[in-house]
Amino acid sequence: MSKRIDRRNFIRGCARYSLGFGLAGLVGFTLKDTTSDEWVWQIDPFKCTSCGRCATHCVLNPSAVKCVHAYSLCGYCDLCGGYLKPGHISRDTAAENQLCPTAAIERKFIEEPYYEYKIIEDLCIGCAKCVEGCSAFGNGSLHLQIRHNLCVNCNECAIARVCPSDAISRVPASLPYKIKGGFEPGSVS
Amino acid sequence: MNKKIQILLIITILVIAGVVLYDSLSTRIHKRPDNPYQYSVDEFKSVDESLISHKELRRIDVENPVAFTYQNGKLFLLSGNQLQVITAEGRELLVKPLEPNPRNINVDNHERITIAYENYLVALDSGGNELHRSEILDENSLITSIAGSDNNLFVADAGRKQIWVLDEQLMVQDSFRGESGVSEVHGFILPSMHFHLAINAEKELWVTNPGMHMLQNYSFNGRLRGHWGQTSFGIEGFSGCCNPYFFASLPDGRFVTSEKGIIRVKIHKESGELESVVAPDELFPGGEKAPAIAVDEEDNIWLLDFDKKMLRLFRPI
Repeated sequence: MSKRIDRRNFIRGCARYSLGFGLAGLVGFTLKDTTSDEWVWQIDPFKCTSCGRCATHCVLNPSAVKCVHAYSLCGYCDLCGGYLKPGHISRDTAAENQLCPTAAIERKFIEEPYYEYKIIEDLCIGCAKCVEGCSAFGNGSLHLQIRHNLCVNCNECAIARVCPSDAISRVPASLPYKIKGGFEPGSVS
Repeated sequence: MNKKIQILLIITILVIAGVVLYDSLSTRIHKRPDNPYQYSVDEFKSVDESLISHKELRRIDVENPVAFTYQNGKLFLLSGNQLQVITAEGRELLVKPLEPNPRNINVDNHERITIAYENYLVALDSGGNELHRSEILDENSLITSIAGSDNNLFVADAGRKQIWVLDEQLMVQDSFRGESGVSEVHGFILPSMHFHLAINAEKELWVTNPGMHMLQNYSFNGRLRGHWGQTSFGIEGFSGCCNPYFFASLPDGRFVTSEKGIIRVKIHKESGELESVVAPDELFPGGEKAPAIAVDEEDNIWLLDFDKKMLRLFRPI
C-alpha cells in the first residue's frame, strides 16, 4: 500500500527542492562569471577603411585608438607613404613633409637607404591618415588598434557605432589585439 | 498630482526624446561630418586630356588572374592553377591544369612556355607538355617576374633581391644583385615583394628598382648600363614604395609603366621622359592593384586588371 504524503510534508519538500535548485543556480551563475572570458573592443585592420572616426568619436580625448606598426611587413623605405605627405618637398623630417598632423611618427636612419618608423603613442590621435598613405603606397604595415591600457571598454563602443565598415567588434580579453603580420597578441610597440 | 510636477515630468520626457532623436539622426551615415583628417591625393589624379593617347576597346573577363603575356596574336594567361591560351577576341584555344600556385609566365616566339612558381620553373611546349624543370633556386627565393632572350631566361627573385640567369634547359648560369660600385646606385632596393623585369625589342634587359623609382638597364652579365626615373606624385614620375610596379617595352623601344597607389598606366620615351597616358586613375575606380601589362605588334596595350578580374585592351587614338 502506497504511503500518503500529507500537505505539510509536501510543502516542506517543495521548499527544500526550490532552495536547493536556487542555490545550485546561484553557484553556477557565479562560477560562469568568474571562469568565462571577458570581452573587449578591437578593430579588424583588414576591414578598416581609415575613415577618421576613431579620432573624432571615441569618448576619450585623445582617442584610445592608436596606430601600431607591424615591423615584419614594413619595407623600411626612405620613401614611406605613411610618413611623407603626398607632394612632399624632400624626404626628410621637416614638418612640411610629414603626413601625420601631430608628428607622432618617429623616423630613424638604419642604413642607406633604410629607415625605421616608430609610433609615439602619446602623440597619436588615431586619425588613420598614415594608415591610408601606407595602405595605398606601401605594404600596409601601419594600422589602427584600440589600446587596452587606455580604452574604458564602454558597454556600447562609440566608434563601433559609427564605424562605416563594421570593423570594430568585441574580442576575448585573452586575445585583445588583431595585429597584422603575425605578431603575437599584445606585442605591439 | 501637483501641476508643477506634471509640467516638470513632461519637460523631462521631451528633453530625453529630443536627445535620443538627435543622437539617432546625427549618427546616420549621410549625416556624419566629413573626415577632418582626410588623406587625399586627388590633386595628383587628374590628367590633362591632351596627354591621353589610348582608348579602351575591349574587356575580357578572367577568373583568378595571376599573370599574363602576349605572343603571336595570343594571350597566355595564368588563371588560378591553370594555363589558358585565348585569342585577342577572347576565344579559348587551350586550357591546361598546372601545379599549384604558378606566379609568372613567359612565352617566346616559338611559343615555348615557361611557368615560374615560388622558387622553381617549368618549361612547357605549346601544347602544355613539360620540356624542362629547374632545381629550386633557393629556399628564400620568391620569383616575381621572368623574361627570355635567345637562349637566356632572366628570373627576378624578390626574396633574394637578385636576378638569376638560366639557360634553355633551365640550368642556372649566373646571378647578379645590381650592385654597380657607384654610390648613388647600389643594388636592387625592394620595399615590397615586387620586382619586375622585361627584355625590349633591342634585346636589352630592363629591371625595376622600385626603392629608387627607377628602371635600370643591365648587360646580361649584370653590369649596370643605364637608368631613368624620378620620384614625384606628379604624372611625370613615380611615387610610393613599389613603383614602377609593372612595365613593358613597345616595339620601338618606348616603355609602358603601371603604378599602384595612384593607379595609372603611362608611356615614357626611351630616355624616360613622359610621353603620354594610356589609362589614368579614373579608369580604375576603387582599385588597389597596379595592372600587369603586355603589348602587341601594333602598339595596342593589354592590361590585366586584378581588381576587376578582366583583360582590358587599349588602342592608340
